Amino acid sequence: MSDKAILLVEDNPKDEALTVRALKKANVLNPVVIARDGVEALDYLLGRGAYENRDTSVLPQVVLLDLKLPKVDGHEVLQAIRANPRTRLLPVVVLTSSNEEQDLVRSYGYGANSYVRKPVDFVQFLDAVRQLGLYWLILNDVAPVPHEN
Amino acid sequence: MNERGEPAFLLGISHDITERKEMIEALVRSKKETELAYAELEAFSFSVAHDLRAPLRSMDGFSQAVLEDHADSLRPEGAQHLRFIRESAQHMARLIDDLLALSRVSRSDFRPGPVNLSTLAEKAIARLRVQAPERRVEVVIAPGMTDRGDATLLTTALDNLLGNAWKFTSKTPHARIEFTAEGPPEARTYIVRDNGAGFDMAYANKLFGVFNRLHLAAEFEGTGIGLASVQRIVRRHGGDVWAEGTIGKGACFYFTLRSDEEQSA
Repeated sequence: MSDKAILLVEDNPKDEALTVRALKKANVLNPVVIARDGVEALDYLLGRGAYENRDTSVLPQVVLLDLKLPKVDGHEVLQAIRANPRTRLLPVVVLTSSNEEQDLVRSYGYGANSYVRKPVDFVQFLDAVRQLGLYWLILNDVAPVPHEN
Repeated sequence: MNERGEPAFLLGISHDITERKEMIEALVRSKKETELAYAELEAFSFSVAHDLRAPLRSMDGFSQAVLEDHADSLRPEGAQHLRFIRESAQHMARLIDDLLALSRVSRSDFRPGPVNLSTLAEKAIARLRVQAPERRVEVVIAPGMTDRGDATLLTTALDNLLGNAWKFTSKTPHARIEFTAEGPPEARTYIVRDNGAGFDMAYANKLFGVFNRLHLAAEFEGTGIGLASVQRIVRRHGGDVWAEGTIGKGACFYFTLRSDEEQSA
């Protein structure tokens, strides 16, 4: 298992607590970085604002992205990630409440790698998180971060 | 014309178009209103899909967390109450999903094309068998039932009808579900028949109402939205749905995809 971080973009503290709990129960040991809105997520990834001094040559292994976020929403975050040469190959998993067709179509349209709906039943949610961890943290190989020119 | 070349009288056709203009304006207005209502419904559904599920996830998740982390200090009654909270949260999540599915039936574009209802039914049954592999159900689907309709909507309709048949035969020893058709291709009546719990014909008119249920939740789970979806779907096709049943003997659902006028035309 890689020791790279998981970036969890989630504005609801209760959902954050449940996701962190599920990750722990699924034996995911990677550090989890939390961003509570779209701006924070992009600040972290692009080394801006509070993360000005972060080494941006290190990207998270995977981004778990909620869609409905304050300020900059998930779709906009996704577009910004794909528009930036350094982050455009970063794996992004949309992890959200809705399975409305428009959300799915827009997410994939903007270049999401995966779309997972959070089940209400925690036992199912745990199973989903376990599978996500297994796939994105162990099975999947990520593209190297492009060098800054 | 007279001898000086002046017109003696005029011949013409005149129409008072005030009424027609008013009608067009009214139509344009109502179209705008419909579009506005539609946009509002979209926004409402978006909010429901996103915002209403999050609190339920908390109720379920944290109840489960207490059950796991504090099992030692919980008395059996307390643990039971937490399980009730989880069940209720999950039931409400199903209600929200079904209501969204129901509104999707009205919101979605109607895209008619050739559909094979036999294939749709077989796929629906396959999904049900995956969910309950322990069930032994005899399923008979007439082959080659092709028609014209919206494949996505008809998939939802058959999922609901066959899902009901599947559910209400769960306590029947030799469960049997049939999906057949009667009449010529252009005026067909489709029939979903089961030998399950059935229903009292006295309440047949309540079957298709939203949230109306004829069975106790303890007997058969459900949200009471499925048949309302079926009715909307067949009506969007111009057809109708009706049912016959006998308590303890089974139910039979009939539907058409065209109106009587279309069929006789």
